[in-house]
This record gives sequence, C-alpha cells and structure tokens, in this order.
Amino acid sequence: MKTNLKSQLLLSLLLACSAPAFAENHEHHHHQHESELSAPGLSTPSTDSVFNITDNWTAADGKTFQLSKLGGKPTVVAMVYTSCQYVCPLTVQNIKRIERSLSAAQAGKVNFALFSFDPQRDTPAKLTEFAKLHAITSPSWVLAQGSESAVRKLAVTLGIKYKKVQAGDYEHDATISILDSNGVVKFQADAMNKNINDATDALKTLLH
Amino acid sequence: MKSNKPSCISILVLSGCLFSAAAVSAEDMVLVPEGSFTPFFLKRDGAGSSSAATTSVHAFWLDATPVTNRKFQAFVNKHPDWHQSNIKKIFTDSHYLEHWQNQQGTVNAADLDKPVVNVSWFAAAAYCEAQDKRLPSTDEWEYTLTDNDRDTENLQKQIMSWYSVPNRELPAVRTKPANGFGIFDMAGLIWEWTADFNSYMAPPDSRNSGDKTLFCGSGSLNASNLGDYAAFMRYSYRESLKGNFTGKNLGFRCAKDAK
Repeated sequence: MKTNLKSQLLLSLLLACSAPAFAENHEHHHHQHESELSAPGLSTPSTDSVFNITDNWTAADGKTFQLSKLGGKPTVVAMVYTSCQYVCPLTVQNIKRIERSLSAAQAGKVNFALFSFDPQRDTPAKLTEFAKLHAITSPSWVLAQGSESAVRKLAVTLGIKYKKVQAGDYEHDATISILDSNGVVKFQADAMNKNINDATDALKTLLH
Repeated sequence: MKSNKPSCISILVLSGCLFSAAAVSAEDMVLVPEGSFTPFFLKRDGAGSSSAATTSVHAFWLDATPVTNRKFQAFVNKHPDWHQSNIKKIFTDSHYLEHWQNQQGTVNAADLDKPVVNVSWFAAAAYCEAQDKRLPSTDEWEYTLTDNDRDTENLQKQIMSWYSVPNRELPAVRTKPANGFGIFDMAGLIWEWTADFNSYMAPPDSRNSGDKTLFCGSGSLNASNLGDYAAFMRYSYRESLKGNFTGKNLGFRCAKDAK
C-alpha cells in the first residue's frame, strides 16, 4: 500500500514536470489574483466537484472552455435548447428573476450558465441570437454548446433526464442547479417553480 | 442441411467458423447490422391514440461480452484516477469495485473472467472512452437483446427466470451460447449501463401536446406489449439509476459507430 502510494506520487510528479499544461497552470496559481472570470483550472477541484468533468464547451463568443472556468464564483446552471418553445424560455425567465433578486454588487459575483442539449442546431451564432432574444447582456452569463457526450455527461452529473425525439426536439427535465465557487452542487429545484425564494436564499448563502 | 460445423476440428478452423458467423474485430467486437425493433412503450399518435413504434438502429460495433474484471483491472492500472482509492466522489457512490477485496484493491484471480460490476456510469463511460469506444445507446442495447425476434418466447422466459433469482453468484462471461448476432450474455448475467440510461421512456412525440406531458409520467402507461414485464423492469430499472450508482449486478459493455 505504501509503495503504491509512493509510486503514485512519483508518477504525478513526473507528469507535473513533463506536461507543459501542468506547468503553465502552476504558474497561474502563484500569480492568481481575483479577476472577474478567474479560471482556476489550476488547483485540483474538490473530489465532489462538477469541475472534475473536463469536456470542452464552446461559448456563444466562439471561445472554448471547461467547466472549471466557472470556478471562483457560485454559478446558476440550467440546460436548455434554443428551439425549445415552452420550458426553456420559462427557465431563462426564472433565472433572470433570481438575478434580479440580487443587488448589483451581488449579481456581479455570480455566474449564470446555460448549456445546450442540442449540439447540432445550437451553434455559437444561434446562442448569441437566443441571448439577444432574452435580453441577456451581462458578462456574468455564459451560453454554451458541447459534444453529444459532453452534454450527456453534464446531464448525468446534474441528474437531468433528457431524450432526443423526432424532428430534433428534446424532452428534458427543467432543473435549476446552483454550484458553489468550487463547482459543488448546493441546490437544485424545478425550473418551472414560480417561487424562486429558496433558490435565491441558497445563492445568497454562497455569497458570504 | 449440410453443416460446416464438423469441419471445425482444430482451433484455427474453429475461429474461422466464428468469423463466418459474424463480423468480428480484433478486439472482440461484433458488427451488429442495422435493423429495427419495437420498444415496449408506445408512441402516441396525433389524435391521442397510441400505436407500437418501430425504432430503427444503424449498424454498430458491440463488445461480444460484457467487460470483465480482467479488462477493467488493466484499465485501472493504466488510469490510476479510476482506482478505488483515487476515484472522485462525484463519479461514484461508496461501493465502487467493492468486490475487489484484497489489500491492493485489485481483482481476485477467481473473478478475472467474470463481468466487472460495482462500476458507476462515469467509470463505465471512462473505460469505453479509453478504448476509443462508447457505451451503447439504450436503443442499440435493446435491439441487440431482441435478436431480431429470433426466439422471443424463450428469451423472455430466460430473462424472467433470471430476474426472479436475486443476487446469485456471477458466472464468467461467454458460458452460454451467443445470440443470433454473435453477442454473448445479453440476458441472464448482469444489468448493463447504457449511454442514455437517463432518457425518458415517454412516447417520442409527446412534445405535440407540449412539454407539460413530461411531468405526468403518462408514457409509462402506454405499453406495446403488456406481457413483456422483463422489458418494463429494464426500463424502470434504468430510470431509477443515477450516474454515480453502482450495483453488484450492474456492469457494462462498449460499442462503437460502424464507419
């Protein structure tokens, strides 16, 4: 058991030295000052963090990122798709109500993230259009698309059921999740719930 | 009626026979041809009535057997992140590989060729990804099980008799004959993860009546074959799972697109 541990330590040391990505991250770590979209992909996320998922996502601005980029601030997360007629717009409206319940200072310390179920149709351009349609202008919001397997993995992690059905639509749970700044799920609620008090309370608790 | 089986005396020729029965890859995958099957739930027609929905499946590669402890051990050795002592909490419950009971957390020699169990969906998906494969979709898995309705009655009996005896000692893979596709152990050995186990079994076009129907669970009441309790149990079992769950009868096999 001991030698096993030792060799693992050795292995991770070797990895840390040989992999340039690691080295870069370490450097980041030393210079880290709180910037707005600080991206602590640097330190190992806590073992129950969603940030342990390392799939790539593409934001509406075309930039690629991993979930760990959401670290450093609590994040309100939902999964939607832009051609969705009923549930998704309501979900977005409810998240915006959560946002409005915060003071401007508080709202600046929160990420709002929408991940698309629909890798085929929800291109960055489509996501940008959707943001415009819903008057999402704050830099605190992220809309993103990912591969089919990235979508499935995130949905499984958040306990969200969905299925692609005919004509490219999706049947899906509508769930709002709140992650703490380390990516640990702290609160989940039905996104159709008109009462957002519990969600805002959960969020405000994380802002202290 | 002339059978070519008697000519397969030597092992070499025997493997030749297997090749002629189904396309087999070097890594022991079988090419399952395209086809269709009827899931046990119904699709709803526009008028509110229901009919059996045929679901078609593209050709795909599927592991001939469930992944064994031997293969999973090799994966863990190569990817220590998935060792019992390292696996991230978000990827499993506390029973991950709990049948690997020795000090090093490795598999007992007697279990090497038994299917690996006590693995979460995340671990199963990671294993398949590491082999440049993926988990099969639920449709692919169910289609493979139905075996083009080759021997439905027997199959259902076999499944039900297995379901009715809980937690029996696991045998090794490949101890029973393959099905018509050349795939082993689809029934009677373990439950298996699918990529989209967290799907709805609701009718595929229930969107016509709005997303609201999703919250009624109406889909599960429309079954195409009410006698197929086995299918009902499988779909219900999958619905009850979460990605971090493990089970002492829950394993997996991998698939790959046919390209």
